[in-house]
Amino acid sequence: MQRRDFIKITAAGGAAAALEGCGNPDHHLIRFIPEEDLLPGIATWKPSICTLCPAGCGTQVRVMQGEAEVIRNGQLGILKMGLAKKIEGNPAHPINQGRLCPRGHGELQVTYHPDRIKSPLKRTGERGSGQYKEITWDEAIQQLVSQLSALRAEGAPKAQGRLAFVSAPLRGQRRHIVQHFVYGLDGLPPFEFEFFNGEVIRAANATTFGRSALPTVDLGQSNYVISFGADFLGTWNSPVAQAVGYGQMRKGRPGQRGKFVQVESRISQTGASADEFIACPPGSEGAFALSLAHVILNEKLRPVGAAGRAIAQWATGLPEYAPDKIEKQIGVSAATITRIAREAAANSPSVALIGDAATAHTNGLFNGLAVNALNVLLGSVDRPGGLLFSPGWEPKSERPVLPPGLELARGTDPNETLHYVAGEIISKSDRIKVLLLNGSNPAFASPSAWQIREAFQKVPFIASFGSFIDETSMLADLILPDHSPLESWLDDSPESGSSQTVVSLAPPAMAPLHNTRSMPDVLLDVAQQLGGDLAKALPWKTYDEALKASFTELYKEKGSKNAKDADDFWSKALAQGGWWSADEKPSAPASVKETASPSKYTEPQFDGSANDFPFYFLPFASQMFYDGSLAHLPWMQEAPDPLSSVMWGTWVEINNRTAEKLGLKMGDTLEVASAHGTLQAPALVTPAIAPDVIAMPVGQGHHNFTRYATGRGANPISILAPMTVEGTGSLAWAATRVKISRVGEGKLVMFGASMEETPKDLKHR
Amino acid sequence: MAAKTPEQITDDLLRPLEGASGRYWSFLALFAGIAVAALCAFSWQVYAGIGVAGIRRPVFWGFYITNFVFWIGLSHAGTLISAILRLANATWRRPVTRCAEVITVFALSIGATFPIIHLGRPWLAFWLFPYPSERGIWPNIRSPLLWDFFAINTYLLGSVTFLLLPMIPDLALIRDRAIGLRKRIYTIVALGWRGTPKQWHRLESAMQIMAVAVIPVAVSVHSIVSWDFAMAPVPAWHSTIFAPYFVCGAIFSGIAALIIAMALLRKFLGLEDYLLRIHFENLGKLLLVMSLLWFYFVFAERLTVWYGNDPSEMTVFWVTQTGSFSPLFWLMVVCNFVIPFPILAIKKLRTITGCVIASIGVVIGMWLERFLIIVPSLSHKYLPYSFGTYRPTWVEITITAGTFAGMAMLYMIFAKTVPIISIWELKAAPEARSNHAPALAPVPDSGAD
Amino acid sequence: MSHQWGMVIDLDRCTGCEACVVACHAENNISTVGEDQASRGRAKHWIRVERYFEGEFPDVKTKFMPVLCQQCDAAPCEPVCPTFASYHTIEGLNGQVYNRCIGTRYCANACPYSVRFFNWYNPEWDKPLNLQLNPDVSLREVGVMEKCTFCVQRIKAAEIQAEAEKRAVKDGEIQPACVQSCPTRAMVFGDLSDPDSEVSRLAGGNRGMKLLGELGTLPKVTYLQKDSWHGSENA
Repeated sequence: MQRRDFIKITAAGGAAAALEGCGNPDHHLIRFIPEEDLLPGIATWKPSICTLCPAGCGTQVRVMQGEAEVIRNGQLGILKMGLAKKIEGNPAHPINQGRLCPRGHGELQVTYHPDRIKSPLKRTGERGSGQYKEITWDEAIQQLVSQLSALRAEGAPKAQGRLAFVSAPLRGQRRHIVQHFVYGLDGLPPFEFEFFNGEVIRAANATTFGRSALPTVDLGQSNYVISFGADFLGTWNSPVAQAVGYGQMRKGRPGQRGKFVQVESRISQTGASADEFIACPPGSEGAFALSLAHVILNEKLRPVGAAGRAIAQWATGLPEYAPDKIEKQIGVSAATITRIAREAAANSPSVALIGDAATAHTNGLFNGLAVNALNVLLGSVDRPGGLLFSPGWEPKSERPVLPPGLELARGTDPNETLHYVAGEIISKSDRIKVLLLNGSNPAFASPSAWQIREAFQKVPFIASFGSFIDETSMLADLILPDHSPLESWLDDSPESGSSQTVVSLAPPAMAPLHNTRSMPDVLLDVAQQLGGDLAKALPWKTYDEALKASFTELYKEKGSKNAKDADDFWSKALAQGGWWSADEKPSAPASVKETASPSKYTEPQFDGSANDFPFYFLPFASQMFYDGSLAHLPWMQEAPDPLSSVMWGTWVEINNRTAEKLGLKMGDTLEVASAHGTLQAPALVTPAIAPDVIAMPVGQGHHNFTRYATGRGANPISILAPMTVEGTGSLAWAATRVKISRVGEGKLVMFGASMEETPKDLKHR
Repeated sequence: MAAKTPEQITDDLLRPLEGASGRYWSFLALFAGIAVAALCAFSWQVYAGIGVAGIRRPVFWGFYITNFVFWIGLSHAGTLISAILRLANATWRRPVTRCAEVITVFALSIGATFPIIHLGRPWLAFWLFPYPSERGIWPNIRSPLLWDFFAINTYLLGSVTFLLLPMIPDLALIRDRAIGLRKRIYTIVALGWRGTPKQWHRLESAMQIMAVAVIPVAVSVHSIVSWDFAMAPVPAWHSTIFAPYFVCGAIFSGIAALIIAMALLRKFLGLEDYLLRIHFENLGKLLLVMSLLWFYFVFAERLTVWYGNDPSEMTVFWVTQTGSFSPLFWLMVVCNFVIPFPILAIKKLRTITGCVIASIGVVIGMWLERFLIIVPSLSHKYLPYSFGTYRPTWVEITITAGTFAGMAMLYMIFAKTVPIISIWELKAAPEARSNHAPALAPVPDSGAD
Repeated sequence: MSHQWGMVIDLDRCTGCEACVVACHAENNISTVGEDQASRGRAKHWIRVERYFEGEFPDVKTKFMPVLCQQCDAAPCEPVCPTFASYHTIEGLNGQVYNRCIGTRYCANACPYSVRFFNWYNPEWDKPLNLQLNPDVSLREVGVMEKCTFCVQRIKAAEIQAEAEKRAVKDGEIQPACVQSCPTRAMVFGDLSDPDSEVSRLAGGNRGMKLLGELGTLPKVTYLQKDSWHGSENA
């Protein structure tokens, strides 16, 4: 008899004997044999990757032995296993350099969430009723296989474009596997849906620099930073990398301290740290940027160069953007504009950023191009202290190729493309036959006017891989729950945040708690069962096999001075959390492309007349919930929002003077109405917003998203007008106007009792 | 008012012990019911967690500590009347001493429960007691809470002694008149009193010593209670005026409580011939003095704070003068000064009813004063982001109501088991003898007051 | 001379992002209390970022100030605790011994920084969120006061490790969870008794100030005040 069998038998027998004598029902939980060999009390650190926002920070996870109540083979019992206890930044990772934002810490609660889907489910009641029964993985995969076979059996062209895969943003090999899978079934290009998707910035960068990518900003060496609405210290782009650079810019260089100017109509969390805040009406950021450019050109502070090829009037010195011509329109004095322009030119390296609301107006693309032009003029592109583009890396071999006839020529924005397809589904019910969902929540994070939910309702078969029931996945007929990120193989090549080539890699930090399966593994399994070209395109058995193959390719392409061979390269990458190049020289300065139709300023359009809807409506990414996908985590709900200090709630920010005029007090329930919907939320009276703007954080207002987020607050996205950004078709989410009315007294849960250091009602001198 | 013979005095003063009316039982049941409700509320608090109360960050003390200070303060009635007036040989004190001492003992007992009620882990309250614990540490003698522990226990011990000693001759009187079970009980508690000159001598010596000893104890108790606040760097707490201010407030509320108690006893036990207008007048004059003294302390403190213009102190200042706490503040001033002052100063208004109205005002006002010392300061410490508002819950309100009900209940039970006016002291009025020494033995015939 | 732990927080770097707040919750097993209890002032944020606005739009100045236990050398919370639950350690920390606390809450009143938090109920975690708990930090039951400990579990672990390796603790080796997480590196932790440590060097600088220092608490956290720009429009 093997030692292991002996231990198993005696343990089971002993446990049974012990249980007989023990009357406590808790102790009737059996103990499973541990599958891992861990020393209690000793921590090991495993590298991982944070997946909660696009930045892709590298993390390290503290794993210690613990006892978890788990279900194995339908039986509840206790298993000693390695448990993730804490997530920290990975000091070696070039993006975040050991640091981590609050959301990254919260990722731990995704794994241990009480409302995680613990096993495959099959719908039993009406769609959306929430009635499911547990099934085995074999049954679940069988169901999916049969649905996809049936679809494929219809043959082209009937079967073409009938499969839609809507996912949270995918990375690295995971994305490749999904693309292969979907294309192999003649499905539409996967929709990587997220509300704040940066597509306008990508489009502007593609036009100006030929790179459709988010920029990397070398703040650490900047001397002058102008941010047009970008919340770069909170939620925009690669916040931790940017914050690391910001700290360096401020106090990391003895004797040098960079200046930071923020231009927006609401003081964001980032704007609160600015040396100078300039209020700018919504949609006029681009005009402001060009006015700065005008001063620089006019006063010959920088060589003219080819900076503004994409901007009309550049060659003639932007006469319409002279400060005195533009000051009334943008509400910034000519003196200020002139001074800022001079300061920026005099304090190299200087760099300008744009993001968030500034690129979410109907003229958002123009704003982006204007700021790009300003950057080139300031000489900040591909220079230390300026902006550059991360090299990035993708495996070149076996690259998924989009089959012909499946392109959707509908602008460049995947969100908008999904909107378009949803419209087609509503008008033609059989447009999509099979919908696969992977963790993204468009039913929540899109305007009601887009009717995403209504469209999905019409799809005959919906399967979801996500770990939670939310407003979108609640429509699924079949649920095949993925592991949580800490239980998964992960890889990533971040789009921005470092000048080095970064290819992150992480093995699972812990074994799966529940009866879940890695989504790529499921796709690979299904592909094998479906056979044919699809199976050939996805030859790997498991996802980590695919990862190893891509890393072998990486090793061959980039070589490695420190690794003997591909296996060694792989092991080293696993140990440190990925591979990154040594300091790379920035790529050659991207040239500014000549365009046939240079962009010129157009008035931003807003939905709703100024008479009927007197306020600009500004949703913003919340520091704790980002786009609402993190509202289910109790730490994020209870952490006070940095500016409002609100916990467990939503609020409507309104200027204090406006509030006084309207007789509104802090906490009053307001009804906010656009031409497309209404919502109610408590008022937050604050000086940090323009008098004609009201703002709401995105994230709350879920009506079905675990016990912590359900029925809490209001969702500003729901009432947005379906306005679009000219040129990209993206949702112009800052282009809605609203009106407000007081409903009655309300309640705001705030951790901070005072907005001011000397509360107004206590000032008596 | 005719002069009473000693027999009549004894009869009158023992009559309440002979039975109780239906009205008595109804009220007793009512108060007992409220007290039981308070007990249930406290049990719930222990079971569910002290979070069922309304206290919070930063107002970590609320109703419970208000009650604590209030009841300890109220207990100063007995000391003043009994001890000080005894030493000053004020004869009018005689019918009043026991009423006062009983208030002290019960108020002190009730007050002393609050340090336990307000604890987060009340089952560990015994750690305040200095015993050689297996944890290897003694309590922290630097903590004002420890001083509270010793001072209140000392005062409680002293007050109980001060109450029980002069009760003995009266208990013996009852023993001599009682039959059956009652006789057996009162025989035990009378401790073998025979009324011999030696026993009288011992009693009087003991009373003298206690009278002298208990005054500094009483003064120290409320000074120490005030230092629970003054020793913390909280705006408007950390003030040198607190010790005398609190002692004054304690005596103030104590006298008011005594006046109310006496008025109720007078009415319900038919003691109109014993508790006379002159008693109320004299106590009323004392109450007037205390009201003026209280006003002086409050004014002096406020003026100093206002003049000093320290930002955190001024925040608390304005919040009580004109801000969210101002209704309570001005109500307190009305109750403690505006109403009592004219009533007590103008002889025509200084009737029994007048004194009672003034006293009710003072009791309310002094409860508010404790609340207003604690809560506005804690709500507004140094960092405005961390200010907070306090709202009591049903648990705190029930327990507070329970203490008042409990006090009334205990008093009612006492009044039916022990003569509320000290019979032998009343009979020992010294009109007929020299002013130097108090009576050493009861004199048979001088019942005139 | 034993270590004297202290911290420097550079307000010119701090952006109020609250990474420190969530990191602390994760490290120290701080339970969330839910909306109802949070509305009643029972949330426990051992480190919080106080935010103050001054002025009217658009000339609004925002101040972010991370406030945590200052581990005062003349801590007002220490003399008032009747059971020595709050006491001063040899290494200059204000220790909170959960087992000794009977919950009088005097310490919380005495603390001018309002950095002490009370367990009004027994903390609860919806299973399996209890698996996130850090085994190195004890759980606190109802009626017990808690607050920032400068991650004493990390301090102890590093000291034990250093002793086992027969060496001194290196400057920067110990990082409380907040310090480790801060994206702008606004927080620095170290030994104030070592004049060469980074924390001593920064604390002695000319931007240093103590929060409520005038109260005489001798706090061990030095704040570096926000600086201003000294450039101009001329090169």
